[in-house]
Amino acid sequence: MNRVQRIVLVACGIYLLLFFGPIAGFDISRIVREIAAKPELLLQQLLIGLANGAIVAIIALGYTLVYGIVELVNFAHGDAYMLGTFMALTIVGQFGVHAKSSLGAKTIAILVAFVGATVFIALLNVSIERIAYRPLRNSSRLAALISAIGVSFILQNVGLFWGGLRAFFPIMGVNGAAPKAFPDLIGRVDLFKDILHVSVPIVFTTKDLLVIVVAGGLMIGLRLFVQYTKLGKAMRATSENRDAAKIMGIDVDRVIAFTFLLGGGLAGAAGLLVGLYNGTAVFTMGFTAGLRAFTSAVLGGIGNITGAMLGGLLIGVLAAFSDQYFSSRWTNAWVFAILVLVLVFRPTGLLGESTGQKA
Amino acid sequence: MLQKLRPAISIALLGAAITFMFGAWSVAAVCLIVGAIVGLNAGQHSTQRAASDIGREAIQPGLVASFIVVLGGVLYQFVLQPITGNPISSTLFLKIGENSPALDSITALVISAMAGLIMGPLTAYFTASTYGYPEKQRRTRLLIALGGFLLLFPFYEQITIMNWMAALISVQIYILLALGLNIVVGYAGLLDLGYAAFFAIGAYTTGLLSSGQLNIHWNFWLIIWIAAAVAAIAGLALGTPTLPLRGDYLAIVTLGFGEIVPVVFRNLIQVTLREPFTGLCFLGCDPAVEKRMATCFYACTGPLNLTSGERGINPLGRPVIPFTDPSLFGANYLPWYFLVLVLIVFSIFLIGRMRDSRLGRAWMAIREDELAASQMGIDPVKTKLMAFAMGATFSGFGGAFYGAYISGIFPSVFDFSVSVIILCMVILGGLGNMTGVIVGGILIIGTDKLFLPRIAELLKAFMNTSVLPNVSNLALKDFLSTSVDPLQMRQAIFGIVLVTMMLVRPEGLIPSAERKAELHAAEAEPIEEAEAETGA
Repeated sequence: MNRVQRIVLVACGIYLLLFFGPIAGFDISRIVREIAAKPELLLQQLLIGLANGAIVAIIALGYTLVYGIVELVNFAHGDAYMLGTFMALTIVGQFGVHAKSSLGAKTIAILVAFVGATVFIALLNVSIERIAYRPLRNSSRLAALISAIGVSFILQNVGLFWGGLRAFFPIMGVNGAAPKAFPDLIGRVDLFKDILHVSVPIVFTTKDLLVIVVAGGLMIGLRLFVQYTKLGKAMRATSENRDAAKIMGIDVDRVIAFTFLLGGGLAGAAGLLVGLYNGTAVFTMGFTAGLRAFTSAVLGGIGNITGAMLGGLLIGVLAAFSDQYFSSRWTNAWVFAILVLVLVFRPTGLLGESTGQKA
Repeated sequence: MLQKLRPAISIALLGAAITFMFGAWSVAAVCLIVGAIVGLNAGQHSTQRAASDIGREAIQPGLVASFIVVLGGVLYQFVLQPITGNPISSTLFLKIGENSPALDSITALVISAMAGLIMGPLTAYFTASTYGYPEKQRRTRLLIALGGFLLLFPFYEQITIMNWMAALISVQIYILLALGLNIVVGYAGLLDLGYAAFFAIGAYTTGLLSSGQLNIHWNFWLIIWIAAAVAAIAGLALGTPTLPLRGDYLAIVTLGFGEIVPVVFRNLIQVTLREPFTGLCFLGCDPAVEKRMATCFYACTGPLNLTSGERGINPLGRPVIPFTDPSLFGANYLPWYFLVLVLIVFSIFLIGRMRDSRLGRAWMAIREDELAASQMGIDPVKTKLMAFAMGATFSGFGGAFYGAYISGIFPSVFDFSVSVIILCMVILGGLGNMTGVIVGGILIIGTDKLFLPRIAELLKAFMNTSVLPNVSNLALKDFLSTSVDPLQMRQAIFGIVLVTMMLVRPEGLIPSAERKAELHAAEAEPIEEAEAETGA
């Protein structure tokens, strides 16, 4: 394709977007008017987007780690994260804490829920790898992908079943399929107004802060781990060339299992965070969140840890922006449209290297 | 001796599981089917030459199988009915024992069992003896028998009030869809995870053209072609940008497409199209002025509600056959059954011809090795696009039929799980093999629409009559009454099917020969495979 053709194609695409976009809320003049009327709202959405994006980014890390090492789109990852929320919800429910409990009780409950969800999902992820993926490592990639879709369906059903266990966990509510209320343990304290006592038109609560701090900490920790520890080095070597790593004496099976362990732990942590942040849990939340996270991983360049973080934040901000200015009903369509566009036009993502065969 | 009977017994046990759940009237029908399968199996392994000899060999296993199936029905009548507290569900349609339903039910069982015990061995004899004929004659005979069964069974079902028809039509619709997906996944080897999107496009095309939504009421026989064509164009539209992608990336793009389409249909409730540049003014421009300035293309007087969102489009127009009763297609299932049967037969014929044509062979060549195929002069772009378009065409048929049959279209019907269920059928039956896909469809959708609801019903009745009154622990009681529900497990069943098939038998139950060879190449020649991997 020569340059003129490419320019014509892009122009046609933009025209079509302007023509059909307003149906899906992409009405530029209206958006500009709204931003001009309330510019602080833009900043507010940016903050919301960053907090949501941080959670998406943690999930995306799980996709990117696994893809980087075994080249498998671990479809079940989103549902593992959903089970993480359920585990956290169950633990919090068993502790019997609620929004008005004492700070100490809440802290203990959150810490136990954090450990419980992380460990549970990490072990779950490892067992999934052992049962459903490892035997397929040498068969076609599509076989492993189909197996992953199957696992995703099973996990979703486990979530449905778990949500129906009201007889043992009263916190699950009456209906198994309905969204469950996650106790509001952090509280909504506005940092600017209530703590710093400055009057600004935007709201930044302790919840946002917690999510951003925890997510940032996890991401930086992971980055350092992969960069500087021996196991991290083994992971990078395995993802570079599995056979060569094997020859160098790396126990590839163990490294892969560890990668799933790590990804599962992150998904469990994300599950707790999203429960605390959004206050709801439903068994279908893993599918959408998983697709969003996968989109972020692809957007940032799949296999690339920094890319996944960047992609997650971008997708979070885009989704928040779309919720506010386009139309929240169309947000999913926009996110998937980005997924399709990135895969079609730049399958290596923003930060990815050329992958040759992978695309 | 037992060795010889083993396949017959295992098939019969499957049949007995069915009769154990449905009781009397299902016995005769299941005996017939089981007998046919037993006969096919016996004929295949027979060492005899003459047709009558082969047939005679199959009579004994056929009889044994029929006995087992009948036993299932008897167990239902005398064991399952009492413990579930289910009064009588299968009665004699003649209503001889008007005053004694139990007697009526037992009479029904006896008649059905006797018919089954006679028909089972007979069909076994017949299907086995076809192996004594040359290939072509054999196929004709089997097809006539199958056709006769498919034509007569619905009448039997109607007379005996088995209530299987709704499930059967679902099975047929899904088979139609799976046949289309088989082109894309099985023949061309392109994993399509958004196949339900084409189904939705076909259905919504039908909905818009034959309902009060836009006040267009076209004839169904015309619309079904339009729906197929629109779906095919959508297939081309999806195929064009995704062609350079391979394997899992293609799968994810199709998945994204499959997710976008229902969102679009769900939200097309306020549509107006204006030319963007004529009305583009950013700041300080009155919205009313801006709207007036823009050149309007569509829905100018007010935003148009195209799909009614979550409420869906209904009612839809029904098909009418000229010179017959215009209300023929209505609440009665029979016409729908035969209509979709015709569609399936037509599709099988068309796909079969396509598979053996130049195009079909090109699909398989692309699937095996794209590079080699393109060196042989096959245009991969055109071939893949045709696979997408042809696959979509059949789901367009399916969507059009579905819309008219349900007489209502709702966006929630076309979500990701539908794509996965169809994929499940194709994989379970055998990629690239139409017989396999049909068998897979019968197994999966039959389980989903017929057996699971029945198991759930029986289990619930069993719980209520025999278990719950004896449980004193309140929490356990609550758990048993809410969480033990097979209908909630359906997704897990599909998941387990997918994973198990991938682990144990990736080529499917009835694989095509090429696919089998390909998937088991790794076991046969491990060294070569490893070399190929490192080379790539």
